Amino acid sequence: MTTAARAPRQSPPKGRPRTPSPAPNPLRAGLRLERVPEPCTIVIFGGTGDLSHRRILPALYNLRHAGLLPSETTVLAFARREYDDAAYRAEMEQAVETYSRVPVEPALWQDFAPAIRYQAGDFADPASYQALADRLEAIDAERGTRGNRLFYLATQPSAYTQIVAGLGKAGLARPDRGSWARVIIEKPFGRDLESAIALNREVTRVFDEEQVYRIDHYLGKETVRNLMVFRFGNGIFEPIWNRRYVDHVQVTVAEDLGVEGRGQFYEEAGASRDILQNHLLTLLALVAMEPPIAFEAQAVRDEKLRVLRAIDPQWSEARIRRDVVRGQYGAGWVGGTAVPAYRDEPEVAPTSTTETFVALKLEVQNWRWAEVPFYLRTGKRLPKRATEISVQFKRPPLMLFREAASEPEPNLLALRIQPDEGIMLRFAAKVPELGLDVRSVNMDFTYGSSFATEAPEAYETLLLDAMLGDASLFTRADEVEAAWGIVTPLDETWASWDHAGHDEDLERYEAGTWGPQAADRLLERDGRRWRRL
Amino acid sequence: MSSTTVPSLQVVGGRRWLARARDVAGVERELSRIWAAAAHDVEASGDERELEAARGEPHLAGRLDRAGDVRVRMRTSVLTLLVVAPRPETAERALDAINVLATRHPSRAVVLAPGDLDGPSRFEAQIFAQCLVPARGAVETCTEQIVVGCGGELAQHLAELVTPLLIHDLPVVLWWPDDPPIGRGQFGELVEEADRMLVDSGTFRDDGALRLVALDEVVRAGRTTVFDVGWLRLALWRELLAGLFDHPLLTPELPTLRSLRIDVAKPGSTLRTAKAALFAGWLAARLGWRLVEPLAARHGAAFPGAMFRSEHGLVHLEIRAAAPGSDPALRSPGSLARVELELGRRGHDVRARVTRQADHLLATADWQGVQVCRRAGRLEHFGDAPYLAEALDRGAPDRVFEAALAQASLLVGAAA
Repeated sequence: MTTAARAPRQSPPKGRPRTPSPAPNPLRAGLRLERVPEPCTIVIFGGTGDLSHRRILPALYNLRHAGLLPSETTVLAFARREYDDAAYRAEMEQAVETYSRVPVEPALWQDFAPAIRYQAGDFADPASYQALADRLEAIDAERGTRGNRLFYLATQPSAYTQIVAGLGKAGLARPDRGSWARVIIEKPFGRDLESAIALNREVTRVFDEEQVYRIDHYLGKETVRNLMVFRFGNGIFEPIWNRRYVDHVQVTVAEDLGVEGRGQFYEEAGASRDILQNHLLTLLALVAMEPPIAFEAQAVRDEKLRVLRAIDPQWSEARIRRDVVRGQYGAGWVGGTAVPAYRDEPEVAPTSTTETFVALKLEVQNWRWAEVPFYLRTGKRLPKRATEISVQFKRPPLMLFREAASEPEPNLLALRIQPDEGIMLRFAAKVPELGLDVRSVNMDFTYGSSFATEAPEAYETLLLDAMLGDASLFTRADEVEAAWGIVTPLDETWASWDHAGHDEDLERYEAGTWGPQAADRLLERDGRRWRRL
Repeated sequence: MSSTTVPSLQVVGGRRWLARARDVAGVERELSRIWAAAAHDVEASGDERELEAARGEPHLAGRLDRAGDVRVRMRTSVLTLLVVAPRPETAERALDAINVLATRHPSRAVVLAPGDLDGPSRFEAQIFAQCLVPARGAVETCTEQIVVGCGGELAQHLAELVTPLLIHDLPVVLWWPDDPPIGRGQFGELVEEADRMLVDSGTFRDDGALRLVALDEVVRAGRTTVFDVGWLRLALWRELLAGLFDHPLLTPELPTLRSLRIDVAKPGSTLRTAKAALFAGWLAARLGWRLVEPLAARHGAAFPGAMFRSEHGLVHLEIRAAAPGSDPALRSPGSLARVELELGRRGHDVRARVTRQADHLLATADWQGVQVCRRAGRLEHFGDAPYLAEALDRGAPDRVFEAALAQASLLVGAAA
């Protein structure tokens, strides 16, 4: 039975032999956590862009500093601009000095710098990919990278299909025996269901699904593991984790920042594409999912997918008007600073109807959760940065303490993800020294701050995992599509309303507040209210 | 026993308390007083919303959070840590490490400093409690430290002394930083109280053989999970050597290993072999070797050697003193300076080595004289905290260590 359950969902297409697993190294036992990946060449498409400067190169330097990057590993930037190796290296030295988590040590940089190379090329030109293939072979011979390649698509999303197709035509997606080729794709993965399906189709035409690593950097390993350990490593929570005991669940991803110079991007995305489709739905899936059969990438992703599929994707206009609130921030004060309205931000249209806030009510229609509402909200320019999940339990069936001065709030379990990871349990207790006053008491547990070592950046963890072939922190094609399946009908309905000039549902909220009042009414209607964060 | 003086309780700064006691009952009494005081210790935060929430209910001032709920101050203890530190400098070192880990592993730490065993019986305890806020906006965690100085007959019954001070239900970790008298009565009694134990084979007296064998017996008894700082410090050596054999060309050669040479630092007159024996024991356990000749001085040879048998034939082991260099890092006796392996049969020759170079380790492998693999790693100059953290973090035994220790114990058995 378990064999069948564990079988891979997508078998590789016929005619492509799977890479045989190498002979095991007996000295590895007990050292797994400090595994150093095999040498490889990391090809960064868009190597002159912001992401390379701020994240990728600094992360690689930090991995090297931590001794987790073999000295053979080579970085090959591929972009349009005409650079040579030396010029690119000089620019990256600047970038790493500015953005690296650990200070740059000249000796280590001298050692690392020769591993940084540059290849000019046009994403649209097949000859560029042939030149890339030749260069990669030369690097294998010179530096001992053994034909292993990690392609990192750090370009505009519009270039993804072109690059993937180019790699396929040049034969770069099919590594030699004993080597591997993987591709990392940055968010956003599509902008609606149709484009996500099309992109998945194009990518899997060239690469097998198991070669594809879709980054959702938001989910640091710690958070995911903590959530899973909390739910499945404790015996006392799982029995009450269902519709008999849970009244409702709230998930909040609040940001105090505005669009921070990314107006053009945000105009296209909005809160639903930027946060709801990925972060909010992933958190919901982790809270609501059934226990996976094993703590490994495929099993966990199978269960997350099941939750997403249990959410009704049929959005009638009436349901949207009833269960979804969209908002846009006006001018206001955040943390003692006056901030402009969204429409006054650079690169934003003065008549923009892009939503900077979404709150909605969803139901996970399965035996565990039927009729338990999940309230999700996210927004920019809210009073503070906070990501929290809260599970509110039902009231006791009988209130015995009628003479108490105040009625206690129902029990609540809050899982705090940022800024400080922790768990809070609210329960009722008698206030000492008074007659009979029952008050809510918060028992708050915070995971301690770390010691001696600094926590790695999300990109370090993700790059290392991709080099090691561990896909647990990456998103699978069917997950992406299921999430878009929930969000796209919403976006389309809003677009049609905007087009017809009926954007009355887009509520303005003052920056520095918890969103439009309609979001409060969404819960008040059900006799509930948002948690105060 | 009875308390002879009235203990003093004073508040040091906002969230620290200090007290003294003259007997175990006094310690318990002071701890209850401290936590009662902590619960009533009102700090005006000045938060307007909080003040407003507490208006009309002055007894709640300072105890409400922003949402107007009552905040509970929690002692989030996860274990009791027992430290035996006869030397004052060791006790200080231990307290430093404990403080570093305080917010990550909130615990009750009992530091025992047994003094003159033949003198008069004495007991004096300093109790220190503090509540720390690990990061801005985070919730405070509270920890307790009890430093017990004792001597005379009392100091010979440490186990009886600490038993009342252990927190109910929580694991007990015993840390014995200096050369621990493993196998002796007093040690055995304390180990019986402990679920986990942290020692440092690098500090074992003489050549370390006696203690290594005794440590293996503790592991075999199976009651206590053992952690060894000496072993943990070998992690990078193992990592780099293992890394060489990830190379597809070299992995199949591992069974053909025929010679192993380990150079260790020897600043004094004794060659401390404990760490080298653990390293050799690790290879023996991983590669399935059987001991043929235990470690012993050999006729005509300057350094001790031993012999194992692998499925391919004999494996020679030699432990040598490293050439005295100027490297200050090699002043710690018994530290590894270089490991060299010879492998390969039938016409090809493979050599792998890991060498210490200042604060780095360099690992290289040659195939017929041509370098095919190179790895480097930095040796971090850690204090005690990361190793203590390992013992506090991991409840489960390290089976790789246990297997290595069993082999090392056989290896040095004759010497012990």
